Amino acid sequence: MMHPDPVEILLVDDDPDDIELTLRALQRHDLANRVRVVRDGVEALAYLLPDDPDLAQAGGLPKLVLLDLKLPRVDGLEVLCRLKAAATTRSVPIVVLTSSREERDMIRSYDLGVNSYIVKPVDFEQFMRAVGDLGLYWLFLNQVPR
Amino acid sequence: MGRSEAATVTHSTMQRAVLLTGGLLVSLNVSMVLLLHAALRRRADAQAEVVAVNRSLERRLAEHTAALEAANHELESFSYSVSHDLRAPLRSIDGFSQILLDEHADQLNAEGQRVLGAVVRNVKRMGAIIDDLLAFSRVGRRELEHRTVDMGRLARSVADELRAAEPARDVEFDIGSLHSVSGDMNLLRQVWVNLLSNAMEFTRPVEQPRIEVRCEKGEGGCRYTVRDNGVGFDPAYADKLFQPFQRLHAGTQFEGTGIGLAIVARIVQRHGGQVWADGALEAGATFGFSIPEARNG
Repeated sequence: MMHPDPVEILLVDDDPDDIELTLRALQRHDLANRVRVVRDGVEALAYLLPDDPDLAQAGGLPKLVLLDLKLPRVDGLEVLCRLKAAATTRSVPIVVLTSSREERDMIRSYDLGVNSYIVKPVDFEQFMRAVGDLGLYWLFLNQVPR
Repeated sequence: MGRSEAATVTHSTMQRAVLLTGGLLVSLNVSMVLLLHAALRRRADAQAEVVAVNRSLERRLAEHTAALEAANHELESFSYSVSHDLRAPLRSIDGFSQILLDEHADQLNAEGQRVLGAVVRNVKRMGAIIDDLLAFSRVGRRELEHRTVDMGRLARSVADELRAAEPARDVEFDIGSLHSVSGDMNLLRQVWVNLLSNAMEFTRPVEQPRIEVRCEKGEGGCRYTVRDNGVGFDPAYADKLFQPFQRLHAGTQFEGTGIGLAIVARIVQRHGGQVWADGALEAGATFGFSIPEARNG
């Protein structure tokens, strides 16, 4: 199996540079060991809400989904909507990690039940810190029903 | 002429007179009816014309509204793109430059590191400009929420915050009694933040920085002024101060992107007021704004 250990963080992002920088930020805080990257909304939904429920058990649900909003095919808000509507994924913490400062994206995300909304800082040091802080919080402090 | 003859004559004269009068009356009536008819017709025509004009006005109004909505929509997607699409690559440039500096510094000589440092510095500056541009566009789009705003309290709390942010500096604030106005609390707070932080910034080289805030009530409403004893500006360029991204000082001399006063002007204009600036080189500056009295109490 490709992922013998359960995936802890599912990173949903389509920009290879952004993915690299986010992975580096996670690495710096020793959080990058069990990260799975998917590159659009369709892949994210296929991973978290597979048609065959047995597949979902194989990897287990991640402790955290880092979700970009601007994604090819199915966008981030749609992914968020579907995950929060499904009984199996409702309690999986979803953190929107986006470049968009637009209030309508923020309002819509909270309406759909997002757990946190982070605007990626342009400053790389701040970005590193933000990713590290949120990784530590959601992986080690936060508790979810299992 | 006998009596009866005279009577007959009189009779026929009268008959003729009656007939004549009757005829006159009839023709008068007919012409009145005709006139009335014509008038009615004219009125109907006029009404039809009014309806037609109204319709075309309505159509044009609808067209203009649609065009405005389209323009607004375009503006919104423009600022959305600025927000998202410009910030993302900028973060990549900053991130990879930083990685180069952190992890590969030994492969760069001093000049290489200096050049890369300049790249990083400019990326941060562009990031600040994008954020300010977005703030500026939001000020124009936001709905105003009117209520009574205690300007004295607002100005003092902003001054306290600015002082707390720079504890090493000793800036004297003298805030007089300021009249309350009806306006949008959050936006008016932004006005004080921008004016007072500007005054803080431009008194940096001065030995005993002093910022004075005053208010006077006139016919047009309340006039507020912020006077500092900082580096001032050349009054020839006073108009340019309130234009977005106009700076009268070299980019490296003072902090800021040059959007602060443009935001002040926009907020004040949206409240129906005006902004102005007085100053001289090396002789301090005074920035003022007016907020008119609320029209309905």
